[in-house]
Amino acid sequence: MIYLKGIKKSFNQLPVLKGINLKIEKGEVVTILGPSGSGKTTLLRCLNFLEKPNAGLVQIGNIIVDAEKATKKEMLAIRKQSAMVFQHYNLFAHKTVVENVMEGLIVAKKVKKKDARQQSERVLDKVGLSDKLDHYPSQLSGGQQQRVGIARALALNPEVILFDEPTSALDPELVGDVLSVIKSIAQEGITMVVVTHEMSFAREVSNRVLFMDEGVIVEEGTPLEIFHAAKEERTRRFLQRISGETYFLPLKEQVN
Amino acid sequence: MTIDIPFIWVAFKEIIKALPITLILTIVPLLAGFLIGIVVALVRIYKLKYLYRIANGYVSFFRGTPIIMHIMVIYFGFPLLLDQISLRFDLGLQTNNIPIILFVLIALTLAAGSYLSEIIRSGIISVSNGQLEAAYSVGMTKFQAMIRIILPQALAQSIPNFTNIFVGFLHTSSIAFLVSQKEVTGAANIVASVNLKFLEAFIAAGIIYWGITILVEGISFLLEKKVTAYNRGGVS
Repeated sequence: MIYLKGIKKSFNQLPVLKGINLKIEKGEVVTILGPSGSGKTTLLRCLNFLEKPNAGLVQIGNIIVDAEKATKKEMLAIRKQSAMVFQHYNLFAHKTVVENVMEGLIVAKKVKKKDARQQSERVLDKVGLSDKLDHYPSQLSGGQQQRVGIARALALNPEVILFDEPTSALDPELVGDVLSVIKSIAQEGITMVVVTHEMSFAREVSNRVLFMDEGVIVEEGTPLEIFHAAKEERTRRFLQRISGETYFLPLKEQVN
Repeated sequence: MTIDIPFIWVAFKEIIKALPITLILTIVPLLAGFLIGIVVALVRIYKLKYLYRIANGYVSFFRGTPIIMHIMVIYFGFPLLLDQISLRFDLGLQTNNIPIILFVLIALTLAAGSYLSEIIRSGIISVSNGQLEAAYSVGMTKFQAMIRIILPQALAQSIPNFTNIFVGFLHTSSIAFLVSQKEVTGAANIVASVNLKFLEAFIAAGIIYWGITILVEGISFLLEKKVTAYNRGGVS
């Protein structure tokens, strides 16, 4: 379970998050939508203290941290509750695929090397990369790299996996591969928070959609509620702008 | 004046006996300086209180003054200092018994530390921040991330720079002959003076330096190829 209370974050006096309250149940898949600069990535990074909130309470699993007086030890403890998949993959460049996945297990979870390798191979098999174990990240395509990133997160068996725009840096034809891997993990009941611009993904996979703008959660609901019956004007405007179909609808009508 | 070509070979055989001293004067300072360099680089990157200023001052001074000066100051200054300390605390130190090479090694080590710290620092900075964030995200501490993720990449990328420094220090070690250390240049000087054949002796010394440099560059090339293999992409 994840619980956020009054999360505030500013960069150089510019408020980016203005008091976020959020509760995510175990096994939930939550997508965060919003225009760029709305604070959605910052919110995700505040969850594992890659960005330290200025104020507020963060709870993941049974670790609770008061952001204002968070110690290094507490930050480490809360990071160990989560794992992250990055927009630019951020695979360890000097380590092979299987070493990338093993790294967290060996260092943070103190798993024996042999067991770590076994677990890593199993997870890599799940994301369809069992034939690339000894390749370096630079030898893989973007889609493959991101699947290693997902495997690295998955191997840690965390309370929650945080996805920071996992498909935005990929070639369009590779997006499908990665999304289907994320989808299959979602169905296993792992808690996930996903920042994305993939509307179809948000619609099909998530249990709940948050719409953020200007540092606050403007609206939240099931995908059905958000995509078809958004209450807030801002949400509707955003969805209209971003979804090609609705955008071109008036044009189509004109043509007809 | 004529050049006595066969004498170059004679001189070569004599001078190469001093090569071990030159290599000691190159390798020992670089190894010790490497440890200093890592510590200083980390202190400066993390801006550790007080230490950070000392590290800044150290790098600025030793990079800002010629190595010949370090050798001279330490060679003439250290014995004086030790004598004073010895006198005050009645330690009975005999500075005359300290081998000269020790002073040279200390001076070169301090200089090497300052140069290497800048190379290591730039190597660390060149590793993208995403690597650090990824290390944090899998639950590593700052220290673990530095040792396991950042430094290996930083050092691998710095190999061409390390080679530069090695070659530079190989040649700089020739300064030691000023304080009568018999390394390659010192030996060449002796052979030259005894036989009054300066050109031949220094050509022989030059061949030795050049040969070592070519060898080191070759090794460095192979090493770099091996340790940065991860970076080159392509399917192996």
